[in-house]
Amino acid sequence: MKFQIIYGTESGNAETVADDLVDEFDGDVEIEATDMTDVTLEELDPSTFLLVICSTHGDGGMPASAVPFAQLLDDEQPDLTGLRYAVFGLGDSSYETYSRGSEHIDVRLQNLGATRVGDYGRHDAADGSLPNESALEWAHEIIAAVAVEVPAR
Amino acid sequence: MPTSPHAGARPSIAIVGAGPSGCYTAQFLRKDWPDAEITVFDRHEEPFGLLRYGVAPDHLGTKALAKQLVRIFDRSGVRFVGGVEVGRTMTLADLRSRYDAVVLATGLWGDRRLPGFHPEESATDPVGLYGAGRITRMINAHPGRESADVRLGERTVIVGLGNVAIDLVRLLLTPPESLTEIGVPDDAVAALGHHETRTIDVVGRSSASEAKFDAAMVRELARFTDVAFTSDMPDAADAADPRVAAVRELTSLPSPAAPARRVRFHFGWTPARLEADHRVRTSVFRDVEGTRRDLRLDTDSVITAVGFTESGQDAVRCSELRSATSDLDRGVLDSGLYSVGWCRRGPVGTIPANRSDAKIVAATITADLVARSSATGSAA
Repeated sequence: MKFQIIYGTESGNAETVADDLVDEFDGDVEIEATDMTDVTLEELDPSTFLLVICSTHGDGGMPASAVPFAQLLDDEQPDLTGLRYAVFGLGDSSYETYSRGSEHIDVRLQNLGATRVGDYGRHDAADGSLPNESALEWAHEIIAAVAVEVPAR
Repeated sequence: MPTSPHAGARPSIAIVGAGPSGCYTAQFLRKDWPDAEITVFDRHEEPFGLLRYGVAPDHLGTKALAKQLVRIFDRSGVRFVGGVEVGRTMTLADLRSRYDAVVLATGLWGDRRLPGFHPEESATDPVGLYGAGRITRMINAHPGRESADVRLGERTVIVGLGNVAIDLVRLLLTPPESLTEIGVPDDAVAALGHHETRTIDVVGRSSASEAKFDAAMVRELARFTDVAFTSDMPDAADAADPRVAAVRELTSLPSPAAPARRVRFHFGWTPARLEADHRVRTSVFRDVEGTRRDLRLDTDSVITAVGFTESGQDAVRCSELRSATSDLDRGVLDSGLYSVGWCRRGPVGTIPANRSDAKIVAATITADLVARSSATGSAA
C-alpha cells in the first residue's frame, strides 16, 4: 500500500508536518508528500492511502494551498469509491472555528465516496506548540494499522 | 525525500533579514539546493524579525511559527549570522562580491507618519505621540526600545483600523500581571500604564465593512467583560459583512454596571490635526462624508497605526536600488540581487502572503542560478 500525503498550508506548518512524516516513514513504506495545489485526480486512486494534513485559515476557512484542490473536487466530482484516507487538522482554539479548515476537505472526500479511517487527528496551536510531534503519533497509528492489511513488498 | 535536481551544485546565497520573508526564502531555496551555502544575516542578534518584534506576544499560535522557522537553522544547515547590519557592518557591494545571489528581505519597520498629526520630519514629536511599530517593538522586548520616553495615560487615541490597532487595544486592556506572564518586559509594562480608569478611542477613515482588521480580532476583545465597548457605526451598516457583525456583536454585549474602562470605535473619520504644545492635547478628525461635526478627542497619548514604510535609519533601502532593469514581479533588483516580502511589495499582506512571495522569488533565483551555471558550463 502506497501512502500519499497531501497537505494544505498557509504559513508552512502543514508542509513541515508532511516533510517530517516522509522523513520518518520513508524506507519502511512507500510514502510521498504533495501540496494540495499540485494534486491531480489520477493520484486519488484506491491503491494509495491518502493522509490529509490541512491547516485552518482565518475564520475557519481553508488555507490558500487547499483551495485549488477543493475547487478541483467540486468541478470534476470524481467518483472516489474505494479510496481511503485519514485526516490531521491544524488549528488554533483561540478562534471558535478551531480546526475547521481540514473539515472542508474531509466533507468533500466523503461526499465523493471516499472513506475516512482511524482517528481524526487535531492539533491546537493556542498553547504555542508545534503540530509535528502529535502528527507523528497520529501517523504511526494509522500507518501501522493500514500497512498490516497489505504487507509492503 | 525526493532528490533535488540540483544536488551536488553548491551556489552561495546570502539573505539579508531573518524575518518571515527571509526565512521562508531560505526554506524554499534549501529544498531546491540541498548543498548550497545559504546564510541569513540580521542586524539583530536574534532571528525572526516581525515574528519576534511585531506579532503580539499573546498570539501564541502565530508566535509558534518561529519554532517552524528555527528548523531551517537547526536542521537544514542554513547559517544564521546575527548582529550584522548590511550597509553598516559591511557594504552591500562587499556582500554581492562574495555570494552568487543576495536577497534583500529587510522588511519595512518605520512607522508611517501622519500629516497633520506628525510635525515635519525635522521637528520633534510632541510628548505622547507614538508610532504603533515603536510600541509593539517595546512590548516585544526589542533591544532598541526607548521605553523611558513612552507613557500611555488614561485617554489614548489609536489612529487606524487594522489588526495592529486591535492588537494594541487588546494589549492595553490586558492586566500587567498577564503581560508579565507572556514575557512583556517590566519597563514596557510600566510604559503602557495600568489605569483603573481608561478610555481608548479607535478612529479611522474606513467604514466598518472597509476596515482592514479581521473580524476574529474584534471578537477576541469580548473576553474583557469589565469593558464597555461602543461604536458610532450606523444602524444601516451591512449586517452580512463579517466585520460589521463582529463590531455589532461586541458593542451589544451587556455593559458592566459601572464601567471604568471604555473602548470606543469611530468609523469614517479622516485625521485632521493633532493639537499639541509640548504634549499631545486634542486629536481632531473630520467626517469623511462631510455631514457630522468634527470629532474632537482630548487625549494624553496618541498611537498612529497607519502602516509601515522605509525607516530613515535603514542602511539599505530597496527603493533606492530599483532601476530600469529591475523585474520586481519576479523579485529581481539587479543581476544577482533580489528582494522579497514587504521590501519587494510594500507593507501589505500577512505572514502567509510573504510565504507565497518567498516561493516566487526563490523560484526566480533557482532559475537564474541554473541558467548561469549552464551558461558558464560549470553545471554539475
